[in-house]
Amino acid sequence: MHAARLIGKDIPSLTIALDPIPSHLPLEELADLFRHPAYAEVLSIPVVDDGKPVGMISRHRFTDIYLKRYGRELYGKQPVGNFANKSPLTVAYEQPLAEAAQHITGNMQLPLTEDFIITRNGKYLGIGFVMDLIKAMEMQMRADTEALDQAYSRLKSSQTALVQSEKMASLGQMVAGVAHEINTPLGYVQNNVTIGNELFGHVQNMFASYETLVDKMLDGQSSAEEVSAQIQQIAEMRAALSVNEMLGEMRGLMEDSLYGIGQISELVLNLKNFSRMDSAATDTVSLHDCIASALNIGRNILKNKVEIVRQFGDIPAIKCAPSQLNQVFLNLFTNAAQAIADHGRITIKTWHVNDAVHIEVADTGKGIPAENIARIFDPFFTTKAIGEGTGLGLSITYQIIQQHGGDIRVTSRVGEGTCFHIRLPASAAHHDAQLLAA
Amino acid sequence: MSKPTLLLVDDEERILRSLRMLFFTGYNVRMTTDANEAIRILKEERIHVIVSDQRMPIMLGAELLRIAREISPCTMRILLTGYSDLDASIACVNEGEVFRYLLKPWSGEEVKQVVADAAAIALATFANERSPYTAAMLQQKARILVLDSDESTVHAVREVLRDSAEVIWAGNLQHATEVLSQVDIAVLVADVMLDGKNISYMLKTVKQQYPKTQSMVVTSFKDTSHLIDLINQAQIARYLPKPLRKNILGRNLEYLIERFRAVCTVPLLQTRHSVAPISDPKEQAQAHGLMDLLNRLRLHRATA
Ligand SMILES: Nc1ncnc2c1ncn2[C@@H]1O[C@H](COP(=O)(O)OP(=O)(O)OP(=O)(O)O)[C@@H](O)[C@H]1O
Ligand SMILES: [Mg+2]
Repeated sequence: MHAARLIGKDIPSLTIALDPIPSHLPLEELADLFRHPAYAEVLSIPVVDDGKPVGMISRHRFTDIYLKRYGRELYGKQPVGNFANKSPLTVAYEQPLAEAAQHITGNMQLPLTEDFIITRNGKYLGIGFVMDLIKAMEMQMRADTEALDQAYSRLKSSQTALVQSEKMASLGQMVAGVAHEINTPLGYVQNNVTIGNELFGHVQNMFASYETLVDKMLDGQSSAEEVSAQIQQIAEMRAALSVNEMLGEMRGLMEDSLYGIGQISELVLNLKNFSRMDSAATDTVSLHDCIASALNIGRNILKNKVEIVRQFGDIPAIKCAPSQLNQVFLNLFTNAAQAIADHGRITIKTWHVNDAVHIEVADTGKGIPAENIARIFDPFFTTKAIGEGTGLGLSITYQIIQQHGGDIRVTSRVGEGTCFHIRLPASAAHHDAQLLAA
Repeated sequence: MSKPTLLLVDDEERILRSLRMLFFTGYNVRMTTDANEAIRILKEERIHVIVSDQRMPIMLGAELLRIAREISPCTMRILLTGYSDLDASIACVNEGEVFRYLLKPWSGEEVKQVVADAAAIALATFANERSPYTAAMLQQKARILVLDSDESTVHAVREVLRDSAEVIWAGNLQHATEVLSQVDIAVLVADVMLDGKNISYMLKTVKQQYPKTQSMVVTSFKDTSHLIDLINQAQIARYLPKPLRKNILGRNLEYLIERFRAVCTVPLLQTRHSVAPISDPKEQAQAHGLMDLLNRLRLHRATA
């Protein structure tokens, strides 16, 4: 129809400033006009009086009239206005493309015989080709889809961020659990120190009394009565408080306290390592350390319930983001513990084949039904009660393993247990610190 | 010699050793890390006070205290825990009927004081040679006061009690206070949240002023630390989550009415539910206000 033109995304870019004709123009003149190069490409010519569009006359309509018997003779001298379509397709110059397109496609007649008129403040401005409009619309849509795609991928990565921050929240819960864990050693350490402090006071008094006694006995000036009074005083003190016995007890309590302080520092240290949120930080570490750290942090949920069996092979240290792998193991242990109703076992196996390190975490829990297996890595998939699970654990696990260039697989039998198998490249595994910062 | 006997139960023996030192003088101390062993001791020996941890391998502390209540009802029960979860605290009210719910790390002075109080009460109740709450019934209709702006609560109470008791409904604090100042209430059934406001101080004040009155909290409000305070400072007798289940409500109301009657016949039993002072300064002020109002109302009644 017409040469390809640059089409923009708005009505102005579609506007062709075509000279209109007045409504009084004799119909016969159209024959020449439609052949004129200026009008060669158009389907129709706008009819405009005093700047206002009053109609549209199409090639199709014109030939229709001329093809009638004696049409030319009968109607040739009559004004175009009589034959024009009095309600042509019209859009405003300022109209948004989508709205214009909707109006045109909603009202156009098929086969397409007319172009549309473009007005500005009601005045004729030019015409536009319906095909151009549709093409522009299509381009717009394509751009929109792209934007949509982009928005989607942005959303996805921000969801990843969200997922991570949700995980932070559940890490927060974990921290709260650990805080509780600390309360036990803190309880006895604090109590022991308080008791020790009191006892120290008693011992001081006692000692002072003994010293006085010794002084009195040695200075040669004190009377026998004074000495015996002092002895009496000491005897009373001894009767009131079995300091000696308490001192013996206290020794044990001191040892307990040291042990408790050790426990607390271990927990705190682990917590610190664990929550290192500069999560991109990479280091060359042994996965056995990550596992130990996760077991320690998860002690709260594992103890009294789960027996841990370690079948550790000889594996090389690998370059990875330890805090992230800690999280992976903690997620797996937590899930396993939650899948175990009363008492059970988690077997952790590690080995090394060529260029890969393998870790298996197998539990004796309730297992995963076949219909769920495909969905467990999906974000927000959970079978747990509200408050117990967010369904993010495994999706994060999956993501972290992928970012480490590894993979994770699961096998499970309902009623018997579940086994997660992770493979991580042993060397040069770690690519881009950036990637991990997601 | 009548030294009270204390039974300490915790799965961490360092806790036991440490606690024992607090009670080095003045008590016989028995201790174990094994809940089953604790049950055996309770069966075989007279234990005045049991202090138990909550999280233990064989059974939870609340469960152990429930069993202790059956085996040896006169033994005073205290929970000492590093974990404060809601379920545990609810079980402590409804099943363990604990005297105090204490948190780790503890204050030595506080634990000593609480145990001393508990021991004194236990010595007295054991000496009374009567198992608690089996006292003769007074054949008088008990009065129940329901304090809840939600009318369905009083409907439920009326429905389960039929006319075995007189049920009074107060939709606001003013009304409830008037009723309390005028008549003896056997059981106060209240939601701790009244029109969006926490009225824990009301329950605490009522227990201080009317120690015989048994209180039952019915609520959908879930806050562990508030509940722990209600145990220690209001000695609430039951805690039922909303929505209420009729059969459970009925059973517990009947039990509390009986307990009220027992406490009336044997006033000594009141001491078993003596409360700790209100700890929150804001609540202290509110409680003062309420007490003033109560006193004025009582005075008014006396002069009228
Ligand atoms: N070891 C396992 N044994 C049985 N089922 C499991 C096991 N691990 C995961 N699942 C199932 O997979 C689901 C998803 O696990 P995922 O760790 O992603 O979320 P979650 O544990 O439910 O919640 P979150 O980890 O966020 O607290 C779980 O709800 C559970 O049904
Ligand atoms: Mg999980």
